[in-house]
Amino acid sequence: MKKLLALILALCLATTLFANGGAETSTTAGKETIKAGFIFIGPAGDFGWTYAHDQGRLYAMEQLPWLETVVVESVPEGDAVRFIDRLVQEQKVDVVFTTSFGYMDDTINTAAKYPNVKFFHCSGFKRSTNVGTYMADMYQVYYLNGLMAGAKTQTNKIGYVAAFPIPELYRHMNAFARGVAEVNPEATINVKWIYAWYGPDMAREAAEALVAEGCDVLGFTEDTPTVIEVAQDYQDKGRDIWALSHYSPMQAYGKEAVFTGQLTDWGVLYVKMLQDYKAGKLDDMTNYDLLWLLEDDAVELGADWDNLISPDYVDDFKAITVDSEDFGTISIYDLVMKRREQMIQGREIFDPFMGPIYDQSGTMTVADGELASIGHLFAEMNYQLENFATPLPQ
Amino acid sequence: MQIDLLPRERSTGLQNLTILIGSLLAGLLAVSVVFALNGVNPALAIFSIFRGSFGSWYGIKETITKAIPLILIGSGLALAYKAKFWNIGAESQLLVGAIFATWVGLHWGPHLPAPVIVPLMFLAAFLGGALWGVIPAYLKVRFGINEIISTLMLNYIAAEFVKFLVVGPWKGASKGGYPYTDDLPAQAILSHFSYSRISPVLLVLAIIAALVLGWIVYRSRFGYEIRVIGENTHAARYSGINFFRTSLLIMVVSGGMAGLTGAGELMSIHHYLSYPETISAGYGFTAIIVAWLARLNPAFTIVSGLFFAGIIVGGDAIQISMGMPAATVSVFNGMILVFLIMGDFFISHKLRIRTGRASHA
Repeated sequence: MKKLLALILALCLATTLFANGGAETSTTAGKETIKAGFIFIGPAGDFGWTYAHDQGRLYAMEQLPWLETVVVESVPEGDAVRFIDRLVQEQKVDVVFTTSFGYMDDTINTAAKYPNVKFFHCSGFKRSTNVGTYMADMYQVYYLNGLMAGAKTQTNKIGYVAAFPIPELYRHMNAFARGVAEVNPEATINVKWIYAWYGPDMAREAAEALVAEGCDVLGFTEDTPTVIEVAQDYQDKGRDIWALSHYSPMQAYGKEAVFTGQLTDWGVLYVKMLQDYKAGKLDDMTNYDLLWLLEDDAVELGADWDNLISPDYVDDFKAITVDSEDFGTISIYDLVMKRREQMIQGREIFDPFMGPIYDQSGTMTVADGELASIGHLFAEMNYQLENFATPLPQ
Repeated sequence: MQIDLLPRERSTGLQNLTILIGSLLAGLLAVSVVFALNGVNPALAIFSIFRGSFGSWYGIKETITKAIPLILIGSGLALAYKAKFWNIGAESQLLVGAIFATWVGLHWGPHLPAPVIVPLMFLAAFLGGALWGVIPAYLKVRFGINEIISTLMLNYIAAEFVKFLVVGPWKGASKGGYPYTDDLPAQAILSHFSYSRISPVLLVLAIIAALVLGWIVYRSRFGYEIRVIGENTHAARYSGINFFRTSLLIMVVSGGMAGLTGAGELMSIHHYLSYPETISAGYGFTAIIVAWLARLNPAFTIVSGLFFAGIIVGGDAIQISMGMPAATVSVFNGMILVFLIMGDFFISHKLRIRTGRASHA
């Protein structure tokens, strides 16, 4: 018994020694450095949303030598307060990034407790003197994907594996559908809702079901490359099923199955926000709202960062031609490049959500010649367009 | 040398305590191996966990916040496990409780004062959890369906149903199209001690519930029946215990407590119904270990609930300061549970080591 006690005592002593050592190194950080805390919704290895944010953080670390970061992953939406408190009180961070919509109220409320810390909430719409918002949105890229999907489909059925019925999904799927309709008015879109951001098992099931229904091009919103793996399995068996890369560069998961996709580079956004902080530009953040689209370089077309379209498929898309209202007879490849150029110049030059837009029931939601407002796209778009074959969930 | 395993006729309190501490230490040792394999100093990591949860006011407050749901659910589970009714469905009983409370809060809340609506929501949630708990109890006593399977499966059904509600009929008009219900009215929100997330109402409720359930199990007639059923079902039947009625009642209490927790989390922390994983964060499963560490005495869940809340809260600390992945905490909890259950084996069995030749050669 005495031996046991002695052992426990020794252990306690050892731990306090180590603990003190650890504490010292973390407080000796120079005044020049800026410490940023990141709160992630999923695991950084999900290869989707959180992975992309983590890549952005690493990029910012590379670009900004004065930056130090702390990461907390897999934080449930109801629990953000606890992690923000700890980051501020114990890690003494100067800046906090909360990277999921569900953290919105917690971010606003906690920020009020810490007026000297700056907060950035991703994808929300509430701001305050020390809370700004930021978002990189890919709807324009989805439209470009739609042009290619519409041209590629042989069955005239396009599948979509969707996470949750929220405006973000409808915005992306509708932009995609606008692209499909522009080159292939015959094609329709089948949607399967899986009600999860991270759900490889359900995504696989949904993708298989869509293929069984006759879909041959699959888009998806889910945080893993599962849908691509399904498509690649079919390619390996000699059947032409394609999938679009989502969020992260997923080309490697579907060498034949993937011809392009959507990419987001949060790095440039993080660098911008941290530089603004360093430059002391954030006295009042009530109007600090960054929404970066194609023109701002935060999103890009492609399934890897080197190619807009997989080199294996460039010739295919050059060979297919359509009659375009704006450009006359043109190859799909050229159409995609021209539209991309236009959107890089700005929403007012070209935008997939230029009216007239009709929802599935035929009701006009955006008038002829009118450009859908950002507010409409980000909060009010809870409908599907005319070329969807499946009804709204329930 | 030969090792014999013999059933232990009776165990003393000291033996119990020694084995409990022994299995905890063995669990910590096993966890240490995992830490070491990850290149982290295990002593430092375990110390950081407990410093993160009990080493500062901030940590203590968060630990209590997390302990409340664990104690509420854990005490109800301990009661059921005492009767050897293996309720693995507290997670979904919590969710159904939250559903009932949300409905009452959103429909009646705006018209009623706080002293009426708050108890009403608790009551509704208790009924909801109880209802969900009684289903597997009925299936077991009526058709002999294994309750481990049925309670586990009901978890998925309830979770899917919550998703259905928040993306469908209950989606709030004020939530920008996101799958959450509208906020509960102000009078249905439980206030907190300042600078914390601890609701005084819930804290008192949790402590009283644990003590009362402890009293029920060890001092009341119902508790006696629970313990007899747990020891020997046949003996219980012969001694005239109404097996059917008692089994259902056990799950009313066990499920009801989990349902109550759902209402508490909703009114204190979340303020609206959203995805199941947000509403619960796995309390229904962690509470299983809490009940076990309490040696199935509901009153002891106050201590074991705090212990596991400490591990959850301290788990953030090792993630933040040491860069260990979030899954570390789950590994930690799982290991401790395995060793506690192994320890249990040594309470009911003893080892006898004999040296030399076996006697019955």
